[in-house]
Amino acid sequence: MSEQENLGIGTDEWVAQHEKRLARRAGLLGVLDLLNQKVSPTIRYAILGIAAIAFGLFVHDFYLQRIAANLGVFLILTLGLNVVMGFAGLLDLGFVAFFGFGAYAYALTSSAQLNQHWPTYLSVPAIVIVTAFLGYLVSLPSRRLFGDYLAIVTLFFGQVFIQLIISSDSITFPGREESTDITGGSNGIPGLDPFVFFGYKFKGAGDYYWLLLVILVLLIIAIIRVDRTRVGRAWKTVREDSLASQAMGIKVNNLKMLAFIVGAAIAGLAGTIFAGIQNSVFINGFDMPLLTLIYAAVILGGSGSIPGSILGAFVMSVLPEILRVQNYSEMLFLSVLILTIAALGKSWKKFAFNISLVLLVGLFIKVLTSALNIATTPAATWAIAPVSKVLQHWLFIPQNRLLWGNVAFVLLISLIAYYSIAKEKIKLYLLPLIAYVAIFVWEDRLVIEPNTTRQLIIGMLLVVLMIVRPQGFLGKTRVEVL
Amino acid sequence: MSYLGQQLVNGLTLGGVYALIALGYSLVYGVLQILNFAHGDVYMIGAFLGYFVELALGGPTKSIVPVPIMLFLMFAISMIGTGLLGIVIERFAYRPLRGSSRIAPLISALGVSILLQNAAQLIFSANIRSYDTSSFIPSTAGFSIGDVTIDSVRITILILAFGLMFALSRWINKTQVGRAMRAIAIDRDAAVMMGIDIDKVIRWTFFVGAALAAAAGVMNGLLLRGVSSGMGFVPGLKGFTAAVIGGIGSIPGAMAGGLLLGVVESLTQGYLSTNFSDFYTFILLIAVMLLRPNGLFGKKAIVKA
Amino acid sequence: MQFGALKSVSELDITVNKGEIVSVIGPNGAGKTTLFNVVTGIYTPTEGDVLLEGKSIAGKDPAIINRLGIARTFQNVRLFLNMSVIENVMAATYAQTKSNIFSSALGLPSSRREEREVRAKAEELLSFFGTRLTGYRWEQPAYSLSYANRRRLEIARALATNPKVLLLDEPAAGMNPKETQEITEVIERLRTEKDLTILVIEHDMHVVEGISDRVIALDHGVKIAEGDFDSVATHPDVVEAYLGKGSADRK
Repeated sequence: MSEQENLGIGTDEWVAQHEKRLARRAGLLGVLDLLNQKVSPTIRYAILGIAAIAFGLFVHDFYLQRIAANLGVFLILTLGLNVVMGFAGLLDLGFVAFFGFGAYAYALTSSAQLNQHWPTYLSVPAIVIVTAFLGYLVSLPSRRLFGDYLAIVTLFFGQVFIQLIISSDSITFPGREESTDITGGSNGIPGLDPFVFFGYKFKGAGDYYWLLLVILVLLIIAIIRVDRTRVGRAWKTVREDSLASQAMGIKVNNLKMLAFIVGAAIAGLAGTIFAGIQNSVFINGFDMPLLTLIYAAVILGGSGSIPGSILGAFVMSVLPEILRVQNYSEMLFLSVLILTIAALGKSWKKFAFNISLVLLVGLFIKVLTSALNIATTPAATWAIAPVSKVLQHWLFIPQNRLLWGNVAFVLLISLIAYYSIAKEKIKLYLLPLIAYVAIFVWEDRLVIEPNTTRQLIIGMLLVVLMIVRPQGFLGKTRVEVL
Repeated sequence: MSYLGQQLVNGLTLGGVYALIALGYSLVYGVLQILNFAHGDVYMIGAFLGYFVELALGGPTKSIVPVPIMLFLMFAISMIGTGLLGIVIERFAYRPLRGSSRIAPLISALGVSILLQNAAQLIFSANIRSYDTSSFIPSTAGFSIGDVTIDSVRITILILAFGLMFALSRWINKTQVGRAMRAIAIDRDAAVMMGIDIDKVIRWTFFVGAALAAAAGVMNGLLLRGVSSGMGFVPGLKGFTAAVIGGIGSIPGAMAGGLLLGVVESLTQGYLSTNFSDFYTFILLIAVMLLRPNGLFGKKAIVKA
Repeated sequence: MQFGALKSVSELDITVNKGEIVSVIGPNGAGKTTLFNVVTGIYTPTEGDVLLEGKSIAGKDPAIINRLGIARTFQNVRLFLNMSVIENVMAATYAQTKSNIFSSALGLPSSRREEREVRAKAEELLSFFGTRLTGYRWEQPAYSLSYANRRRLEIARALATNPKVLLLDEPAAGMNPKETQEITEVIERLRTEKDLTILVIEHDMHVVEGISDRVIALDHGVKIAEGDFDSVATHPDVVEAYLGKGSADRK
């Protein structure tokens, strides 16, 4: 904002500040907003960087290192998809195929499968270039397609890729007697050579972590630079209004292809590193579940926003790990639930009201069910973590967990759906009820099925996000003209 | 020759199933211009419903009603139930997004798809169920034309599929709701101004689309393919492809696209290679996209600046 | 130009000379915007040709036609709404610049220099409209602009493509009398200060009268009159087209 003197009512400066004033909201979200404004982007990145370096230096737990390395790979993927979808607005649903291609290409050049053992400084760049070329090939027939058509073609491409890999374990070349196993089919390719840089052989996830850190820093800087300059702007115009973009001399189709190629190259790079970390490749890691995870990460963080991608990648990557451990899973769930109630409550008074009502409902159910002598699962079976140990006195878990849980699950979804169209007055009382059922379903069923739960959360998240906050957490509010 | 004939029969049957799925996509796209990613999973729910009806009636071997009645009930209840599910999905996942960007409903649809699949997995578990058709419809029943045998299951499916398609085209062309649907597809604002109740018509669209998908799901189950929570993805994708090949938004296009896809898939599997048949389908898709970007029956959209 | 069975524009012979300001008038549906769309390459003419400086450009890609020197604004203002005011203008300099993705990503000096030049050019173009689109306005998203400012921004954006010919589609639509007067002055300034040839679609006759060297009237896709403002305004076919049959006689 420039310094203009004497803000009187009616001058443009006052009007310009108006939005700022309105945006200062009450309650929890207001506090977050305030924090957001005080800290500049450079400092935020710096803090992130320092934290990352500290992690690498002081954490030596193998399991955590593995998670961090996977987070790094996932972040590269998220940033890549952000370029394709967030900047250029292209719905590439076959994105994961480039990731898989990079991984398999590395496997084929660094293992006994085809008996190729290329040095890392040769294989990785070569693979990135070839993956970029593959992106070019895929974009050729698609360049005139938009939105929906592009989605279907790329989705199909992703599926064909998987099918090709699975089927290429017995290809008979002309002139040869036996068939060759190129890709290991559905068994994958094990035993890959680790990365070697300047004679140093990478030993574990920890080594790859540093490599990833360097790559990420460079990548983020590069993407930020591109975002702020000529090509980045041109991409955004394609996303905004491709017709007007063309009228301004921008060759839309070429830019779409470029976005595709860049996205493919980034995904390919991620693929090679992933293969190195995992020491093997299996095709079922490159299918829809991963794709939806990456999409959820980009959208959650805010399509087009680089910090958003970082946030989204972090959440989506760490989430499955947290869900696997019952204690963390419960803590996560409860904290998110409480935060949601706080955010929806809009004021501290309502928050208190909601929480007390939840507690009341729980107690009521507990008393009711014991009065009716409904069989329960002994607390020792399910209350095995600190959080659930606290809950056991308040929460009713029936003996027939499966049936009750499933019914309650359907009830929960229905209640949430109803909540979206309920009147304000009803919402007030509905929210605590939903919270109770949610806790019940969580403890009863979801906490013991982390994989399904993770997917359920993602699915729910996508729908709710689009309705409530389509720009994600860190994205800018967008105005669309149809 | 008989091999070709057999493959054609299989292809047409498969094509009928794909066509029914494709119709759901085209109907919804025509009216709302969104791609209902969740459609494949609606198909899956339809298959499950049919399975549970079969179970409730006593299962494949101990049915309390004669076979034709059981089949009828399986189809009817599945179609109606799934149709209602379609309405619910529209109401909560798409209606709030009417008027927002083009991508928002797509992402929401993706979310619904993931939700349905995993909810089904949670509730029904990951076990693969089977209709066990051969226990109540002997696989030898049927008739032959020359060397080509068409078993009774396939006959039923073919008749039903074509019957449904025929009923649908009459519905679209002759009834009030059908006409209203076409009107909305051409110009929504004008339709509103003509007094058409958009919400009601859209509800019907989703109901019909989902019901057709459910029918396809039951047919698929009858063809002895397993019923599981993830079964909707690939048929959904193929139905989608068929709709696009035929020209998305076009009803005859969806039918033609579905049949074409079924036949191509069957032929490539029979003559070329089972493993790579999807690859050939993909080539077909690309070829159509390049030569006729709006699909075989699609109309060229006129850009208004 | 034929759409299916509808001849949107037919037998249209228009010549615009360098440095002229020519207005195109006619009732709605007369085919004026279609004319623009054909000239800028959005439609390929079903018959006939479009020549720029003697060379045919009919049916070429709109981006190429723009690079050859024709820029336009749109009837219902198609700005890049979610981009800032200055980004809208800077984006349009794409064809005049050449930093590719690598030089931008690496932050090469040539790239940085070009970026500064683009920024300066955009600021200069926006200042063409006085202080309205300057200062803090640069960083504001385009959707926050008032309607009149949006139209001005669209013109500035079109100018950024360094055109020889400028097509303005109803530049004064929705403006109050004061703004309309300003636009009239702006259009004349565009001709003299930016050395442009301008083709304007307009409904507001004050504007048409104020700016035009020549006026062309269309109705139902056919040219019905051409000449200076006074002769066209009083032409019986024109009066009839606007006011209905019999009006010409009544007048």
